[in-house]
Amino acid sequence: MIGSINGKKVEFQDNETILSVAKRTGHFIPTLCEMADINHAPGTCRVCLVDMKRKNDPAHHIVTSCTTPMEAGMAVLTRTPKVREMQRLQVELLLADHNQDCASCIRHGNCELQDVAQFVGLQQTRYHYPHFYLQRSRDTSSPSVVRDMSKCIRCFRCVNVCREIQGVDALVVTEKGLSTQISVRDHLPLGSSDCVGCGQCILVCPVGALAEKDDIEEAMDYLYDPDMVTVFQFAPAIRIALGEEFNLPAGTNVEGKIITALKKLGADVVLDTNFTADLVIMEESSELLQRVKSSAPLPMFTSCCPAWISYMEKNYPEMKEHVSTTKSPQQCFGAIAKTYLAEKMEIDACRMRVISIMPCTAKKGEAKRDEFIKDERPEVDVVLTTREFARLLKREGLNPAELAPSAFDNHWMGDYSGAAVIFGTTGGVMEAAIRTVHKMVTDKELSQVEFTAVRGLENIREAAVDLGEGIGVVKLAVAHTLKAAGQLMARIKSGEASYHFVEVMACPGGCLGGGGQPRSKHAYQAAREERRQGLYAIDKEAPVRQSHNNPLIRKLYTDYLEKPLGHKSHRLLHTGYTDRKRLVRHTMKEIWQEIEERT
Amino acid sequence: MAKVIFGAWDNAVIDNRRKKVFEIEEYPEFSDFDEFNPGNPIKAFFGGHGFFIFEKNVNLLDAALQYMERVARESCGKCTPCRVGTQIIKSKLELLTRGDGTPEMLDEIASIAEHVHTTSLCGLGQTATVALLEMIRYFRETLEEEIAGATPVVRQHCTTYVSAPCIEACPSKVDVPRYIDYIKDGKFTHSLGVILQKYPMAATCGRVCVRFCEMACRRTQVDEAVGIKVLKRFVADHEQDVTHDWFSSYMIPEKKDPDLKVAVVGTGPAGIAAAYHLLLKGYPVDVYEAKSVPGGMAATGIPEYRLPNDVLNKEISIIETMGGQIFYNRRMGRDFTVKGLFSNGYKAIFLAIGTHKGKMIRAAGEDPHLKGYDFGVDFLLRINHDYIDKGIPMKLGKKMVVVGGGNVAMDCVRSALRMGVKEVHLVYRRSQNEMPADHEEVEAAEKEGVIFHFLTHPTRIVSEEGTIKAVELVKMSLGDPDESGRRSVTPVDGSEFVLDTDHVIPAIGQKVELGFITPDEDGVAFNSWGTIKVKNDSLMTTRKGVFAGGDCVTGPATLVQAMAQGEQGARCIDDYLTFGRVRFFPKDRMSRLVADVQPMIDSGVNIPVKHEYRVKVRELDPDVRKQIFEEVEKPISVEEAYHEAQRCMRCYRVYSVITEQ
Repeated sequence: MIGSINGKKVEFQDNETILSVAKRTGHFIPTLCEMADINHAPGTCRVCLVDMKRKNDPAHHIVTSCTTPMEAGMAVLTRTPKVREMQRLQVELLLADHNQDCASCIRHGNCELQDVAQFVGLQQTRYHYPHFYLQRSRDTSSPSVVRDMSKCIRCFRCVNVCREIQGVDALVVTEKGLSTQISVRDHLPLGSSDCVGCGQCILVCPVGALAEKDDIEEAMDYLYDPDMVTVFQFAPAIRIALGEEFNLPAGTNVEGKIITALKKLGADVVLDTNFTADLVIMEESSELLQRVKSSAPLPMFTSCCPAWISYMEKNYPEMKEHVSTTKSPQQCFGAIAKTYLAEKMEIDACRMRVISIMPCTAKKGEAKRDEFIKDERPEVDVVLTTREFARLLKREGLNPAELAPSAFDNHWMGDYSGAAVIFGTTGGVMEAAIRTVHKMVTDKELSQVEFTAVRGLENIREAAVDLGEGIGVVKLAVAHTLKAAGQLMARIKSGEASYHFVEVMACPGGCLGGGGQPRSKHAYQAAREERRQGLYAIDKEAPVRQSHNNPLIRKLYTDYLEKPLGHKSHRLLHTGYTDRKRLVRHTMKEIWQEIEERT
Repeated sequence: MAKVIFGAWDNAVIDNRRKKVFEIEEYPEFSDFDEFNPGNPIKAFFGGHGFFIFEKNVNLLDAALQYMERVARESCGKCTPCRVGTQIIKSKLELLTRGDGTPEMLDEIASIAEHVHTTSLCGLGQTATVALLEMIRYFRETLEEEIAGATPVVRQHCTTYVSAPCIEACPSKVDVPRYIDYIKDGKFTHSLGVILQKYPMAATCGRVCVRFCEMACRRTQVDEAVGIKVLKRFVADHEQDVTHDWFSSYMIPEKKDPDLKVAVVGTGPAGIAAAYHLLLKGYPVDVYEAKSVPGGMAATGIPEYRLPNDVLNKEISIIETMGGQIFYNRRMGRDFTVKGLFSNGYKAIFLAIGTHKGKMIRAAGEDPHLKGYDFGVDFLLRINHDYIDKGIPMKLGKKMVVVGGGNVAMDCVRSALRMGVKEVHLVYRRSQNEMPADHEEVEAAEKEGVIFHFLTHPTRIVSEEGTIKAVELVKMSLGDPDESGRRSVTPVDGSEFVLDTDHVIPAIGQKVELGFITPDEDGVAFNSWGTIKVKNDSLMTTRKGVFAGGDCVTGPATLVQAMAQGEQGARCIDDYLTFGRVRFFPKDRMSRLVADVQPMIDSGVNIPVKHEYRVKVRELDPDVRKQIFEEVEKPISVEEAYHEAQRCMRCYRVYSVITEQ
């Protein structure tokens, strides 16, 4: 079909929106709520106005381009004086309802609302009604996510992601009129709700309404306290994403620059979560084999992802015996650092502070779980997301892009295998585990190191590996996004599918798409492919590519832990799970009170 | 008749401001606009398409403020212009009515009002400022005078009303966009709560409603109607496990005097809805049922494959959860009488006895005692209760002829297939176009293999030794439409043919069963067409304190109409017991005024909307389902419900009237 935009001929499919046609043909229309990557066009911001004239109707209509389909013979004008004036008034109305405390806002200088105000040429705002927005809630109850509804513009992207991508569905819309806000289901504080802290909502928020809980101050307290020994760990997915915050291309490996930057910050010991990723593989692989050989419940699910663990505990607690008892690499790191490393480096563990840099907001919650705090001493003291780490560097005047790289120099925990690096992508834990399980069972390395059957981006993937006599064929499944995890769980519970080993990562693409990673405006998971390639490239070039061949892992077992699943491992590296299912009891009286009668 | 001094509605303008009131011609469209209630003249009427002024002394500024207050309160708050714009307009109007504004503010109000009208997402915002804009356009001088004289403006008597075409089409006036909004919002419990404000049988209605709402749905102008019924079923099914908790812990706000006992006769949709609302109002309620099972026509007339019995029973049991008592096998006229109920201390009675007696075809040789002759409703009752519930075997022959074109006829043919009847014929005297049955039902019956004979009518029933053997049929031809718009039919001479059959099932209508009521004794009179006579507004029968509703008043109608009458009956009984009379009900009056202005509305959707097709309900395979009574339609998923809910265009409109008092 053919129509025109600003006098230029455009071709389009039936039912394609004006906005989609305009984007495709290079006509810019300012937008705010829309996000094509998640198929989201709720039509609520009403900024993307255009002038539209239908073929057999002389009248011009002002319509929103995101909800109006292009028609044959339709003529669209995107920048008439009337359109510009109405777009300006729209943004002015949005701002009347928005807490414009911009200087202190997390999105300062990186805000889609500020952008759109500029795109429509807004020069002053006439309407200031603080009572419009100050009554709305600010929820800091979650260790992972802070929700400040005074800044919300009702784009509903967070609701979409929580519902459609993650299937968690923790968010609802409450009230009407000016009080309308995105709230947490059943009026709960976010911290005690269905929210699992994955932080995907933060990645799509166009403004500063959603953010990670900021723990930079606590990290700075420790860095600048001479009595404290700070031990830093950073996760595999940090090194291929942090560069984006400093204008380096997505996927660039800045591992060496991170080491330099941390040392310049004053970190006493700089280490890599990769080391304990290798350790997790040793423990989890042994656990899998033990389960396969004994009558323990199968399939076994991975346990590295704290949002998945939270989702499982809240939705499928009856399956908790199916989850590997091995702690996540972050927690194994804390446990080993405060025992083994402290002992070897002769540091008083009470003075040691473990600070992790994670692509993940849920890791903040994981570090605060009761079982990971002994005698009021947590295994991991502070968790910073990639974004917070970038802010910390900026606050300290450091730009990693300009720093020379350095290498790890710790004799006890300062080495890792390629298998550990791919923990950062969906399928990575599975692939790393297969590399090691194969060796454990057959005493031979896989003929092909790369077990590509579990790679890819489909939300649920299946594979099988033949481990030869005694064990036979082991059936595997990999799921990413919690929605996919829920679908897989339903199939497993109904008996429709059966596996031995299942990897689940809550975030799309795995940790590289984590809720703590750099945000991208008007796009969701925009750098996913580059980050993924970055991780696989590091693995490919790694001198050691299997966890069991990491020399420092071998040393850790020889010198300290003795053997996987041994007595010390059990004490330091394994954990259990809790039934956190929430039962809701509403009475009709409460419900009807909320549905106040319309006269 | 009301005189229109000024009117602006959908771009048409009536301007009689320069005429003397008595010179103004009368417009029949406004014959209903004289008084709001007796002795209370309507001075002005405002709506989403414009406004009408009937008296000169209306303060427009105040009228605009009161209208915009309601709009701002009703805004769903999702899109920017309606959420923020209506608030700004409201606060500016507040300043003006307080005397703190300047005439220039009218320009600013107009510019925001225009913006709200043009750029809002849904029908509410798009129409919220139409009247205001017309007012500023045609009454600028008057408004400026009012602004100058505001010291401050005295508030006028104003009644506001919010509705949508789907709500107005629904006999129960269920707030459809609202329960769909709650689905969008992720709050299924609240969605069900909206439905439960009207009746307890949400899952039932979500399965078998005839959907007047969907016929009125404006989405049909874009693609297809919103799946209103399927969404209702979705929320009711999704929340089914918690429903009982809700009611057991529901504390009735204020219990009425225990002396004010109400008896409800019949546990069909009308009786249950009446009992439900009476219980909610705090009255002690006893319900009497002639049969051993509850549900009335919903239980006997609707087959298991459309409405599983446990779904219906669970919803009826809400009455008992709320403290109502149901007495079974208590048949009025046999076990008790109206008089007896009063002497047993009941202060009001609601009759919801339905129409359970089948009508005969009036064919030669027809005799209800013939073996193989069964009225449709009786046939369905036997299947539902004897066969499905109690497991009593039913011996049916190989061939059956069902007569009629309504849903009961469809239920009979589809049930007969499931009972193993090999050859099922449906005979209907008009053509398929005239069939009153849901077209989905007709389609399903066709798929399952029912043989249809349109424009055909039985003339004679052939029997031997009291057993039906065949039926003689005649072809009919369609004539011109009569006054009611229905086309007449006449037999085609010489077109008679004989169809062998073991059964003849007339399903051409029902009437109130004789024996329930004895008019002379009970003081409850019937109409000439055999239904109970009531006063329309109050549903009170010819006997004081005795009310009636449902099929026994309307003749065989639909579930939702019966439930609406039940709710109305409860309201009227409450008024009667509280005030001694049934009072004026402003909502019903507003609804009538809204209906009056509908013909003046240019309702077309004139801006293209992206097509989003209606959810497809999965069904059991016809070859499988025709052998079993399992529910044919499968539930939709949460994801499908969210998607379907997004299709609602929220055609809310705000209306207001300014009255003398």
